Amino acid sequence: MALIHVNNVSKLYQSGDGAVQVLKNINLEIFQGQFLALLGPSGSGKSTLLSVLSGLNPPTEGKVVIDDIDIYALTEERRADFRHEYVGFVFQQYQLLPYLTALENVMLPLAIAKAPKRQKQDMAQRVLEKVGLGSKAHRLPNQLSGGEQNRVAIARAIVNEPVILFADEPTGSLDSKTAQEILELFQALNEAGQTIIMVTHNLENLAYVSHAVQIRDGIISEAPRRVQGGVL
Amino acid sequence: MRIFQISLGNLTRRKARSLLLLLSLIIGVSSSVFLYTTTSAMEEDVANKLDQYGSNLLILPKTGETLSFGGVTVRTSPGEELDIAMVEQMRTIKNNETLAAISPKLLAEGQIENKSVLLVGVRFPEELRLKKWWNTEGLAKREIPQASELVVGSEAARVLNLGLGQEVSIKGENFTVKGIIQPTGSSEDDQAIFMDLETLQRLEQKSTAISLIEAAVLCYDCPIEDVTMQLSEKLPGAKVTPLQAALVSRDDTVKRFSLLGSVVGIILLATSGFVVAMSMSAAVKERTRDIGVLRAMGFRKKHILSIFLYEVGMISFFGGVLGYALGMGLAMNFGDNLAQMELQIPFQPDLAGYSLIAAVGISLLASLYPAWKAIKLDPVEALRYF
Repeated sequence: MALIHVNNVSKLYQSGDGAVQVLKNINLEIFQGQFLALLGPSGSGKSTLLSVLSGLNPPTEGKVVIDDIDIYALTEERRADFRHEYVGFVFQQYQLLPYLTALENVMLPLAIAKAPKRQKQDMAQRVLEKVGLGSKAHRLPNQLSGGEQNRVAIARAIVNEPVILFADEPTGSLDSKTAQEILELFQALNEAGQTIIMVTHNLENLAYVSHAVQIRDGIISEAPRRVQGGVL
Repeated sequence: MRIFQISLGNLTRRKARSLLLLLSLIIGVSSSVFLYTTTSAMEEDVANKLDQYGSNLLILPKTGETLSFGGVTVRTSPGEELDIAMVEQMRTIKNNETLAAISPKLLAEGQIENKSVLLVGVRFPEELRLKKWWNTEGLAKREIPQASELVVGSEAARVLNLGLGQEVSIKGENFTVKGIIQPTGSSEDDQAIFMDLETLQRLEQKSTAISLIEAAVLCYDCPIEDVTMQLSEKLPGAKVTPLQAALVSRDDTVKRFSLLGSVVGIILLATSGFVVAMSMSAAVKERTRDIGVLRAMGFRKKHILSIFLYEVGMISFFGGVLGYALGMGLAMNFGDNLAQMELQIPFQPDLAGYSLIAAVGISLLASLYPAWKAIKLDPVEALRYF
């Protein structure tokens, strides 16, 4: 039984020149425990698909069902609750809040959770240690390297143990060595059971994922395929 | 981590913006507190001075021929005057503590070098207490003229060519000019010659007669109508006339001070509110991406709203407290210098509550629109905002 069902999803954007169809009749099934790469060139619609899958961006047509929940049938605020419970995000530019320390950034998703402050702090500290930044918990983002900021972003995304981790070009602005370390971290998380959906345009990243699917001009022509030895 | 800690983190790490916002609130609140306390003290001071200076009541005979005195018509015909015993009767009214000064007067016409002059017989201690605005040349402070001495109005001195120390004969008796009143703008003071009441009574052969009584009612909020009624009951043969013009003028002055203070205070607070609104609008724009990140994490609109309102609440709380302290301190230490008046501005702790309510209320009100814009942001659009 698939964790995510995407049924006939289309997305149109209105622009000055008229409507632009970014996603065209997408059908997709993603299973628990997969590390899925959404592959495609720039402008192919992969980031839009990621935002639709994560409950951020309602499709123009079709539906997305996650864990038997039709997420776009929910009200906007209930969908926010859904994201809090089910979804973790790693953004391309990390998107850390610059005025909060690494630990405080990691604690952000817990700010709206009902738990004692001490417990939240311990959870965040543990996750920071898991990503190798336990000693830099009290540094501000501008006191960390790009790779470290990315690790903080990953720690923030997983601190409330989401069902699915979404990552949008997480290594896009990193050097190859740091990118490799980040992908190994994702791989370790996946091996521990975390479902991950990652947008990337870099075929070298396939070495770390379990499945991949290609998207071109808003169309997915075939089901996700298992990746073996870094080859699709 | 709680929501208010996100707000606190932003405030403490964006020091320049927070300080600017805090400063604008401090300026708004402190100026309002300063203006309010100072104008209130000025109002009270003006009211007190007007009470002290103003003769609020005139007591006149009910009928008879008339002589003009300060725009009020007074009886002068023999047998129709008031009696000096009325002064003691006045002191027996219920609100007698409000009668700060009672000055009986006898008016008479005299001749000096063939010129007709208005002679006013007064008890100098009472008259000088009543006429605190007199600036009398030749008369030292607290000095009381003798029975053989005159105090001459400026206009009378000019017309009669009188100088200090000059001997003058009135009704066959010699007097010395002890003082000349500097121009007051009041015709009865400028044109009259003031002399001892009992002396004039003797010269006029009216041993207990007086023409009128002037009285100052010393209180700001006292019921002048009640005092008038009580005096009318005690003095059935006299007409008690409150000088409404003086009261109206006093009220007008007080209201002008109050209005000026209120208008300036409101303008300053509104300006602070405008600065808060502008600052919050800039903050929302600057943090559009942050809002997108938080919405993506599952923050509800109310959580986003809380972040902004906590920020404004914290800043405006401290702005209110510090603004109150600064405004009160300035008013207590420098209010009298700036007002150019001798003011007693007391410490007013109750104003702290009003300052807080004003600062927090205005800031929250000014933040509603920017905060509403923040919660209306589409998270996907917000995340694209770089």
